[in-house]
Amino acid sequence: MLLLVRAKDINITLGANKVATSKMHAGNSIRRQRVRHICVGDTMGLDALVSWFMSIASIFKKRKTVRLGLYGAPNAGKTSLANKISMDWLGEPVGKVSRVPHETRAIQQKEHVQVKANGHELDMNLLDMPGISTKVDYRDFMKYGITVEDAQKRSKEATKGIIEAIKWLENVDAALIVMDSTEDPFTQVNLTIIGNLEARNIPVILVANKIDLPKSRPAKIRDAYPQYPVVEISALKGDNMDELYQEITTRLR
Amino acid sequence: MIAMNIQIEFLTSSVLSQKAESEKISFIVANLKKGKILVLEDPLTHAEETRLIEATMKKVTSAFPGIEIGTLGDGSVANDIRSQIIRMLGGKPGGFTVIGPSKLVRQIKRDPETLSLFAGDGRKR
Repeated sequence: MLLLVRAKDINITLGANKVATSKMHAGNSIRRQRVRHICVGDTMGLDALVSWFMSIASIFKKRKTVRLGLYGAPNAGKTSLANKISMDWLGEPVGKVSRVPHETRAIQQKEHVQVKANGHELDMNLLDMPGISTKVDYRDFMKYGITVEDAQKRSKEATKGIIEAIKWLENVDAALIVMDSTEDPFTQVNLTIIGNLEARNIPVILVANKIDLPKSRPAKIRDAYPQYPVVEISALKGDNMDELYQEITTRLR
Repeated sequence: MIAMNIQIEFLTSSVLSQKAESEKISFIVANLKKGKILVLEDPLTHAEETRLIEATMKKVTSAFPGIEIGTLGDGSVANDIRSQIIRMLGGKPGGFTVIGPSKLVRQIKRDPETLSLFAGDGRKR
């Protein structure tokens, strides 16, 4: 009997006897350092084996940390939301917030943010992504009083940040797509981000942010993306965060 | 009043279908940098759109600050498979992609069935 179970970083190999185990050694020499071999005698009952395996598997399940990416267009409020979540559960912020677009130009991370809601608990690494856009014009930054040199530097860093955020689409376990509910939600950038995550079967929650503003129209987000859960919040004021935590702990586990 | 020359190229599916993804993206970016607006008969998939955004970001300069893009006939996986089957049967899947350099194309606005392209610098004359 040969059973190979692959957890995230550790492979557990169950072999019926030492011969099978040594054969696996030979064929798997590259992974040898990361492989834990356990020999199980043929006399062991199947039920006992299954229950033993389940207990091992449950240990790994409990320890799982979800990499949660915050995606969206620039100025949607991703860092405000990351700060709010991190302040609520760790007591410290993630990054600086600004009205100037592309303030976040490199991924900001908070590890082991443990969110609890409705009797569920989720351990997550919070990844605040740079805003994704299809253009970065340094002249746009100068409208906020930034010098030419600083605007050009900011522009260069912003393009790198966008590339980094796109590359991470392959590495997150779940995502919050943050949208400014005062803006048109049906943009190509939103569609592209959601489409890529969907193609990888990565669970997604849409966050309709800035509901404290008079121009906010979160219903437009629900209408544009009826197949996804939408939570209406104000990251700035902390409105409806409990509902978001409930969604995160139930849908993204 | 300043006149503005706009070149729009309509690319049939045969122009891009024979190219590998990286070639396809390079071809599109090169044409956008020349100031052309492209209309692709075969809509880009979401994966291709992200590759295009990545490739564009690597080429951003003050003269080429980026692109505007809009796709009708969503490039979801299900739709992509559907498109492939339609093509295998000799048919043509619906939809198209419009891409333009952001210096020329201010915005591509979409609703589920329509794409509107706004060209020019946006100043009232």
